[in-house]
Amino acid sequence: MRNRDLLFGITTLVVAAVYYELAVAIPQSDLADPVGPQGLPRVYALLLAALSLILIARSLRRSSSSAGSSNPESRIPNPGAGIARVIGMLLIGVAYIIVLPWLGYLLSVAALITATIYFQGGVINGRSILVALSGAVCLWLLFIWLLRIQYPAGLWPSVI
Amino acid sequence: MAVGDLIQLLFSTAIIPAAFGGVAWGILGGALPGISPSITMALLLPFTYGMDSTVAVVLLASTYVGAEYGGSIPAILIGTPGTNAAAATVIDGYEMKRQGKAGEALGISLYSGFVGGLFGFLVLVLLTERLSSVALAFTPPSYFALGMLGLSVIASLAGDSLLKGLMAGVVGLMVATIGTDPVTGLNRFTFGSAELLSGIPPILVMVGLFAVSEMLVQTTAPGWEKATRETARIRFPTPAVWRRIAKPQAIGSVIGAFEGMMPGAGGAISSFLAYNEARRWSKHSEEFGHGSPEGVAAPEAANNTVACTALVPMLSLGIPSSNSAAVLLGGFLMHELVPGPMLFVQHGEVVRGLYAGLLVANIAMLIIGYLIMGPCIWLVSRPKPYLMAFIYALVVSGVYAFQASLFNVGVALAFGVIGYALRYFAVPFLPMVLGVVLGFMIESNYRRALVLSNGDLLTFVRNPISAALLATALVVLAAQLLRQAKSRADAR
Repeated sequence: MRNRDLLFGITTLVVAAVYYELAVAIPQSDLADPVGPQGLPRVYALLLAALSLILIARSLRRSSSSAGSSNPESRIPNPGAGIARVIGMLLIGVAYIIVLPWLGYLLSVAALITATIYFQGGVINGRSILVALSGAVCLWLLFIWLLRIQYPAGLWPSVI
Repeated sequence: MAVGDLIQLLFSTAIIPAAFGGVAWGILGGALPGISPSITMALLLPFTYGMDSTVAVVLLASTYVGAEYGGSIPAILIGTPGTNAAAATVIDGYEMKRQGKAGEALGISLYSGFVGGLFGFLVLVLLTERLSSVALAFTPPSYFALGMLGLSVIASLAGDSLLKGLMAGVVGLMVATIGTDPVTGLNRFTFGSAELLSGIPPILVMVGLFAVSEMLVQTTAPGWEKATRETARIRFPTPAVWRRIAKPQAIGSVIGAFEGMMPGAGGAISSFLAYNEARRWSKHSEEFGHGSPEGVAAPEAANNTVACTALVPMLSLGIPSSNSAAVLLGGFLMHELVPGPMLFVQHGEVVRGLYAGLLVANIAMLIIGYLIMGPCIWLVSRPKPYLMAFIYALVVSGVYAFQASLFNVGVALAFGVIGYALRYFAVPFLPMVLGVVLGFMIESNYRRALVLSNGDLLTFVRNPISAALLATALVVLAAQLLRQAKSRADAR
C-alpha cells in the first residue's frame, strides 16, 4: 500500500476499536464517580476513531486526485532491504532480555554490542570483538561497580 | 536569592559536578549527528533515578545546555549539524572552516552560546516564578484546564498535519490510562500484569520514542563525514570580531528568549529567524553565506538562549514547549516533582538549585567546550556501527537500571517500534509524549472537579482561572487552524 496516511488511519482505527472493547469491559465499581473508570477511555477511543476516519477519507480523496505516496516529509524511505536490519536490531534487544538472566550482564551486553555492530553495517572481526568486550567492561564498571545496580549474575557468577 | 545563599547551595550539594558532567555529556551527545539534545537527555534519564532530585534536574538541564553547543561542532567541522538547531550554523560555520577558520568559528560559536545562555538564564529567573505566582489559587478545575492548555500545544507541535498530531496526542492519553484508576482504584488495561499496575512511566515512553526509534532509523541511514584534529583548535574571537558579533548576539538572544517560550518553536526555528534578522540588520550582509562570523554568532546565541527560556513554561505551568523540555519534565516527574504552579511552593529548593546549576552550566560550557574538543573529534570520527552499538547497550542497561526490571526494557523497545512507525508515517511524536505526561493530571482533576461540583460541567467555566486557561487553549487551537487554512490557501 503506497499511501501511508491511509495505512496509518486504518491502523489507528483498529487500535481505537480494540481499546474501546477493552474500555467497555472495565468492571463498574460501587465507589465510581459520575464519569467512572470507563468514561474517559471510551471518549478517547471514539475521538481516535473519528480522527482516523477523517484521515482515511482525506487520504482516499487525495489518492484519487493524485498518484503516489502522500508522505514526502517522512525521513524513512519505503521499506526495502533495510527493514531486515531494523527488525534484526529489535530482535537483538529481545534476545538480550531473554539471555540476560542466564548469561549475566557482562556477557549479554558484550553479545549485544557485537550483534549491533553487525546489524549497523560493521564487520565482525577481532577488532569489533575487542571493542564489544571493552565496551561491556566499561558499562559493567559504570552500572554494577559504580552505580551498584543489581543485574542478574547469570549461570556463571564465579567466572564473571 | 542572595549571593551568600547561592554559594552555600552550590557547595552543599553536588550541583557543580552535576552541571559540569551534564554539559560534558551534552556536548558529546550533541556532537553526534542524529543524536538530538532530547535523545542525549533521554539516555541519561534512567541514571538520574537514584540521585538527589536537585542534582538530577541540574544534570538533565545542563545536558540540554551542553547539547545545544555540541551540535555546532559537527556543523562547523563536517557540515553536518549535530542538532536541528545547529542547521543554521552550517551555512557560515562550514564556510569558515573551508576558508581555514574552523578554530575561529568554533570560538565564536562557544562564546555566543555562552552569551545567549546567560541572557536566557536571566529571563528564566525573572519570569518563571512570577508566572507561577497564581499557584495557591489552583483547584481541580484549574488543573484540568491547565492540562487542556498543555494539550493545545499539540496544535503548534504537530507541524503540517494537525490531524495526525491530534491522533498521536489521543494515543498518548490512552497510554496514560493504563494502570490503576485514579479515583476508584480499579485496574485498567493491565491484562493481569503486576508490572502495569502503576502505569507506564513516561521515562520508558521517552527513551523508546526518542532514543530507540532514532537508533532504528540510523540502521539504514548513511554514515557521516569524519573530522580531522588539525581543523579544530578553538580560537576565541579577537576584540574586533567581538565588537562585530555583539549585535547579532543580541538579536539571537532576544529572538531565542521569545521563541523558547513559544510552544513548538524550539531551537531550530529561533536559529534560522536569528540568522535571517542578523543578516537584515548587518552592515556586512553580503558576507552571509560566505563565512560571516555574524552568521555563526546569531544562531548560536539564539539556540543557547532557548535552552534556558524553554524551561519558563515547563517550570511555571508544567507545559513543555519542546522535545528537550518534555524529557526534562519526565525527569521531574520521575522524582515526584510536579512542575507547575505548586512546584515553587512545595519544592522551592529544587528550583533554586536548578537556577544555580544552570548558571554554573553556562560557565562550565565555556571551560568544557574548550577542553572537550579533542574527545569530540575522536568520537565523531569513530565508525558509526560502533557508536550505535554502544548507545544501544547504554539504552538497555540504563532502562533496566531504572527499576531493575527486564519488563521495562521490553516496554522501551516496544515504544521504540511505535516511534519508528510514527516516523515512518510522518506523525510527530511529541504530542504523544504530551498525552502520556498530561493524561493522568487531566483525568484525575476532571473527575475530581465533577465530584466536587456534583457533576456540574459548568464548574470549568465558573472558575475564573479555569475559564481563562480553557479560553487560551481554544485561542491556541483556533490560531493554528487558521494558520494551516491560510497556508493551504496560499499553496493553491
